[in-house]
Amino acid sequence: MKTISRRNLLRLALGGGIAAGSAVIYKQTESVGFDKWARWMLRGQRARFASASRVALAAVAGAPSAPYDADILGALRELWRDANAPDLQNASVVLKPNLVDYVPDRPCYTMPQVVEALIQFLRDEVRVKRIVVAEGTTFRRDAHAILMDTGYRDMLERQRVDFVDLNYDDLVKIPLRGGYAKMDSLFMARTVAEADAFISVPKMKTHHWTRISASVKNLFGIVPGIKYGFPKNTLHMQGIDAFLAELADSLPTPQRFAVVDAIVGLQGDGPLFGAPVATGALVGGGDFLAVDATCARLMGLDPAAIPTLTFMAWAGLGQIDANKIELRGAPLASLRRSYEPAPWI
Amino acid sequence: MEFLRAAQNADGGWGYKSGGMSFVEPTAAVILALAQDAPNTVLVQRARAYLKNMQRADGGWGIAAVDDESGWMTAWAVWALASSDAEAAQRGAEWLLQRSGIRVTDPKQIEGIEKVLKIDAGITGWAWQPGDAAWIFPSALALLALDAVQIRNHPRVQEGIRYLLDRAIATGGWNIGNPFMIASNLSPTVENTALALRALAAHGIENDVTRRAAEWLAQENFTPTAFEWAWRAWYLTQMKRNDERARAALNAWQRADGSWDGNPFTTAIAVMGTHEA
Repeated sequence: MKTISRRNLLRLALGGGIAAGSAVIYKQTESVGFDKWARWMLRGQRARFASASRVALAAVAGAPSAPYDADILGALRELWRDANAPDLQNASVVLKPNLVDYVPDRPCYTMPQVVEALIQFLRDEVRVKRIVVAEGTTFRRDAHAILMDTGYRDMLERQRVDFVDLNYDDLVKIPLRGGYAKMDSLFMARTVAEADAFISVPKMKTHHWTRISASVKNLFGIVPGIKYGFPKNTLHMQGIDAFLAELADSLPTPQRFAVVDAIVGLQGDGPLFGAPVATGALVGGGDFLAVDATCARLMGLDPAAIPTLTFMAWAGLGQIDANKIELRGAPLASLRRSYEPAPWI
Repeated sequence: MEFLRAAQNADGGWGYKSGGMSFVEPTAAVILALAQDAPNTVLVQRARAYLKNMQRADGGWGIAAVDDESGWMTAWAVWALASSDAEAAQRGAEWLLQRSGIRVTDPKQIEGIEKVLKIDAGITGWAWQPGDAAWIFPSALALLALDAVQIRNHPRVQEGIRYLLDRAIATGGWNIGNPFMIASNLSPTVENTALALRALAAHGIENDVTRRAAEWLAQENFTPTAFEWAWRAWYLTQMKRNDERARAALNAWQRADGSWDGNPFTTAIAVMGTHEA
């Protein structure tokens, strides 16, 4: 009787183990395809060895009765420097606030004072070539009503800056790079696709679908409502996490940055009906994931429990691990609050 | 009229701004606005030719030439072509009748959704795009388009009517879809309320839901913009009611170039709203 050596037995066991493991992985990744899964996973592993992402926090100390009367421009100046923001001299820049809707007494939108200070800073100190404020509102077809209700119309007139309604802009079709959603391409507003830089200027909020809403969730506003509907639910049907990853991965502007309005955040029933939380902060950085993970920590929430962030970090689209985020500026602990989470639907 | 003439693109269509790419929605709305008094001008004929060229092999329309998938703007095209191109309109209507928003069939899911959103998810209307849930605007628009080609008793029409009635906000009017979210009634919007009311009226529906919605619209409890006034005036004119207040408000929003917001679509709705009832 032929016997098998110990070495060959070990080889056989090892080979069998690898084959069984591969079969399990293949089966588990069947829905997206093994090649895609492997590409995301390898990029995620590479990101673990990448240098840390810089995120800046700036304290904005306003009176409790008028938190937005503070020196926001001064805070932005510090934020820009501390975050090591890109050089945008002579760049055409799109500022994208979150103007999801206007609900009286609900801090669901980026306050115009933050955008106004950013316009002043970019125009007078960074010396960009052109600024537009752009948004594709989620629910209502008429952005004019929201611009009036939120105070943006007066601010834009004062600053002589154009508003572009991204729901009705000319369209360009951009290829989707990631393969996270079941789409190969996406219509996007020409204003965003052809800009040199895109600055996401969201409101920091809890959200009933994505747990938090900050710079990544704000990207939903760049796709046109006339194609994807109001409230762009077609894209939600793709899986919100997958689609947000797609937007973050495929955003065609060469430069990106985020400035989050966390001066007064929204807690609880977000994105619309939550309650205000005075937080007194601006958060900024070029890695949207790192910025949003910092926002989560600022709200007293764990980024590792937020599926959008964990999926995108796993796929290598940014950093959420505190050890891979280099925080500059005001200490996080001094600004951290305990936000009530959104009821999850 | 001068604004619309100047804003028409070389392809015969209109965009949402002067010089912007042509889309089906503003082109159809301008046809409906101009054809009220002059149905056969060169302007209108060129616009109809644009729509005809945009019709896809499946009978539907995408949003613009760059779009290779039929969707909600099919209803606009059917409505705009119903009086001039019965064959194209009929093919579009067939496309509409074969489509619906997602319909939930699992009783447990229906019960769960009813608790959170206060809707009957077993009833559906029309979606913005195939594969999506139904929403008020495309549903009301589809009902108006089907009325324009005299399809009124089809089961999809009847379900569409039930969908609109089910999604009405308890205090009057329509938001974009659900009337309620978790713990709050959502607010009505002018364009959805005006369009849904008109669609229900076209199909002969008048009841407490429509009365409450009409009362909400009459309250002017909305932010006064050209778009909002245009839709309110459009509804009243469509219902053969002359409302001098709405007309005066709308006139005040008209720009020196004759447009409303510099937008051919808003201008078309406003032109219909200022037309004699």
